[in-house]
Amino acid sequence: MSILDIKNLNLAFKTLTGQVDVLHGIDLNIAAGEKVALVGESGSGKSVTARVVLGLLQETRSARINGSVVFDGQDINAMPARKRAALRGTKMSMIFQDPTSSLNPMFTVGNQFTEVLRRRDHKLSKMASHDRATKLLEEVAIPDPARVLGSYAFQLSGGMNQRVMIAMALANRPKLLLADEPGTALDVSVQAQTVSLMRDLVEENGTSVLFISHNLGVVREFADRVYVIYRGRIVEDGPTAALFANPLHAYTRALMSAVPRITGAGLPEVPEVSDDFLAARVSHTEAS
Amino acid sequence: MSAVLRLLLHRLGISLIVLIGVSMLIFSIARIIPGDPARIALGPNATVEQITKLRGEMNLDAPLPVQYGFFLADISRGDLGTSLYTNRPVTQDIAQFLPATLELVFLAGAIMVAVGLPLGILAARYRGRWPDHFVRVLALLTVSAPGFVWAVILMLLFAFYLPLFPIAGRLSDIYEIERTTGFLTIDTLLAGNFAAFKDAVHHLILPAVALSLSGIGQAARLTRANMVETYDKPYIEMAQAYGFHPSRIARSYAFKPSLIPSLTIIGLDFAVMLGNAFLVEAVFAWPGLSRYGVAVILRKDLNAIMGTVLVIAVTFLIVNIIVDLLIAFLNPRIRYSTRGTS
Ligand SMILES: Nc1ncnc2c1ncn2[C@@H]1O[C@H](COP(=O)(O)OP(=O)(O)OP(=O)(O)O)[C@@H](O)[C@H]1O
Ligand SMILES: [Mg+2]
Repeated sequence: MSILDIKNLNLAFKTLTGQVDVLHGIDLNIAAGEKVALVGESGSGKSVTARVVLGLLQETRSARINGSVVFDGQDINAMPARKRAALRGTKMSMIFQDPTSSLNPMFTVGNQFTEVLRRRDHKLSKMASHDRATKLLEEVAIPDPARVLGSYAFQLSGGMNQRVMIAMALANRPKLLLADEPGTALDVSVQAQTVSLMRDLVEENGTSVLFISHNLGVVREFADRVYVIYRGRIVEDGPTAALFANPLHAYTRALMSAVPRITGAGLPEVPEVSDDFLAARVSHTEAS
Repeated sequence: MSAVLRLLLHRLGISLIVLIGVSMLIFSIARIIPGDPARIALGPNATVEQITKLRGEMNLDAPLPVQYGFFLADISRGDLGTSLYTNRPVTQDIAQFLPATLELVFLAGAIMVAVGLPLGILAARYRGRWPDHFVRVLALLTVSAPGFVWAVILMLLFAFYLPLFPIAGRLSDIYEIERTTGFLTIDTLLAGNFAAFKDAVHHLILPAVALSLSGIGQAARLTRANMVETYDKPYIEMAQAYGFHPSRIARSYAFKPSLIPSLTIIGLDFAVMLGNAFLVEAVFAWPGLSRYGVAVILRKDLNAIMGTVLVIAVTFLIVNIIVDLLIAFLNPRIRYSTRGTS
């Protein structure tokens, strides 16, 4: 059974200069416990896809959304805003690019943890929340949880904050984790460490993941399946091994030939825009 | 807390320097204004001998630096000299008139914060929608006229045409309240006279609202602007991604970080009110420092002028120190600036 099923998702923004079409009929599917990556160049529509799934763009007045986004059996687009908000932080959660600036500078980590835990358990006491947060921080291999809980994000290292973000995102045992270029702001080895930590934890919990990344190396390590997005269209998808072994779409090939030039967190530079990039979508079957 | 302590000492040091500057300034200005203070003090019928004698007593014939030295020595003893106008020590005059002004300014400041900040939060939370437009128009309207204009308008509307509030003064004649602090709202309560307390508050409302209006507009606009900026921060998106209620995000996650840059300006607004209070007091015949200030300026009552300006400068500095400490206390980055990072 799939946890997320996006069908023919179209997205446009109304701007002062007219309408900008951003997504042109995205189809994307994530099975329970599956780790799926969405890769593509900057501006291709990765983040907006995640924000539609989270139900955040539905709240943006300039956004025009069409198509169905079925999460856990219910269409996110068709439900009232309240119900969408109720899913966020409980059944789905998100990890952002820069952990340090994603934590509020006015509240301690412990404070923010309590808020997150109370999303599921409204009456959770401070004490109980502290205990629970301590356990969760131990899960992400933070050696002294008490100190981290009492600290502000700016007092901790980026890697430490990233671990905090992962622990928070998984705190309420969501069914779906959206990770939008997690830790790209960190240095390469720290990013790799935290991604593998995240992989272990989601595998343990059976959490489905939509993993957004520029970094094909990390994607290859992390994902079961990959979707390649180009200018708001999925151009190729398939199991990670098959897709990397035999990229069929011209854009995917260009993306992969750019890999050697990627330095850690850098963007793949796809040098030319070619007409082939607009060719029809290719899907690998399990066999290929 | 040592970071905060360091900050406090630093600010006190700066304040001292500012105070010395202010004292030099008012000292020089007071001596430069044409007219002989001794002659003015003694009136038109004074003889030359009398004037010469008084000039001697007032050290008016000594060189300016020497006069300034006398002046400083007196101040440091808490002696601001005698007012030629009231014939009493200036400190005593100020002690009598300052509480009325402070009572007005404190209430106006409280109204500014209590109304201005929530309006700003509301505007930012509903950015681009009607509450935002409403607040922006309101802010523009209130900022567009100074306090004394509002005083006249409010007085005409709510004391004259629609007599909801008293037209002038601090307290109705029927009440006789023993003076303890000089703050009537406190003294009436100390006296256990609740009717008089209500009467005093009743008298306070119109002038305080008039005084606070432009501050409300300022505070609302500032809060909105800072919050709109904060709304673009990743931690707001994160709060939204966790499904926190939009009102909660506004009040807590977006407002608190935005308050810090607003506070400095709000502190300044508060100090500006002290200046605006002079004209508002004039409109409402409020027996505060303004009346005294205007009277002593017209009479070229040097000691009293210097005393008044000095007291206002000190109040200004105290407000600034309080604001700085508040910022340090609210901002964890300052509070913990001595601690290392992990
Ligand atoms: N609120 C908005 N109004 C107008 N256009 C928007 C808005 N949000 C996103 N877009 C546009 O949608 C397109 C897709 O943006 P998106 O953030 O999803 O890109 P991305 O694939 O995540 O890129 P990156 O790798 O740089 O994060 C971009 O061209 C962007 O300019
Ligand atoms: Mg993005």
